[in-house]
Amino acid sequence: MTNRAAASDVAALQGALAAEHAAVYGYGVAGAMLSGAEQARARGDWIAHQEARDTLEAMLVKLGATPVAASPAYQLPFAVTDAKTAKALAAALEDGVTRAYLAVVAVQDRTLRSFGALAMQPPANRAAAWRGSTVAFPGMPT
Amino acid sequence: MLSRRQLLVASAASSPVLLSLNACKGPAVPAVLKGPPPVPDQTTMLLHAVTAEQNLIWLYDRAIAAYPELALSPLRSEHREHLAELRARVVEPPGKKVPDTVTAKPAIGATRAAALARLRAAEQNAVRVLLSRLGGASPSLAQLYASVAASEATHVTALAALGPS
Repeated sequence: MTNRAAASDVAALQGALAAEHAAVYGYGVAGAMLSGAEQARARGDWIAHQEARDTLEAMLVKLGATPVAASPAYQLPFAVTDAKTAKALAAALEDGVTRAYLAVVAVQDRTLRSFGALAMQPPANRAAAWRGSTVAFPGMPT
Repeated sequence: MLSRRQLLVASAASSPVLLSLNACKGPAVPAVLKGPPPVPDQTTMLLHAVTAEQNLIWLYDRAIAAYPELALSPLRSEHREHLAELRARVVEPPGKKVPDTVTAKPAIGATRAAALARLRAAEQNAVRVLLSRLGGASPSLAQLYASVAASEATHVTALAALGPS
């Protein structure tokens, strides 16, 4: 693998990690506005993002890179004031993560391509669950 | 009066175009074109992906006709979008048409549960095949395959929610 290819691999993985950091933060906000089964689902998704974050950090360390750190706070795309906006935020977070993994699919390394393609399926599924409907092209710009 | 040859020589001296034409003198008999070049692997894979979507749409057509009470139309619409986008990426290879025929017509199932199981299996298979094509594709085509595969993975979940597995 050339240094240049490795640099683009690292950049794509850092993008995915940044999206996972944002999702971990965002689910904390969304979860606070949900209750019952929805809050339990949000907690499960929050844990899934923490695990994905840890996986990405380990992959980056293995590539000799320093994983990007989480921001202390994130600006939300819209005000989250109730269950409806909380679910919309969860869907938006999942869309962001899906998009970031789709960027990993564009690298040259075949193993990483497969990793990105598989990793985008859980967030695509979670986005569909929060939104209540599927989309034709998860992760693609709309 | 200048002869035709003299004229040519005269203009050749002043025209770089003619000079370069003169320099291109090759064999007297041109090479014979041996038909169109082979279709690249990437195009073949894309044509297979087009056919796979057509087969899925055929299956949904049958399932929707047999079990209209199942809310399957939105999923079929997304497959139509997949098909349109995949077709749009095909640069039609010489001598080869973009396929528009259905190549697999399995029975849809005598019960609702059987039909849903058939659709789910077809979607799962489509995901598996698309993911196997990532390595040989351009970055942009690999992303399209991955996105379509992710969409079809969400269809598997949606179908599971409609009935027992």
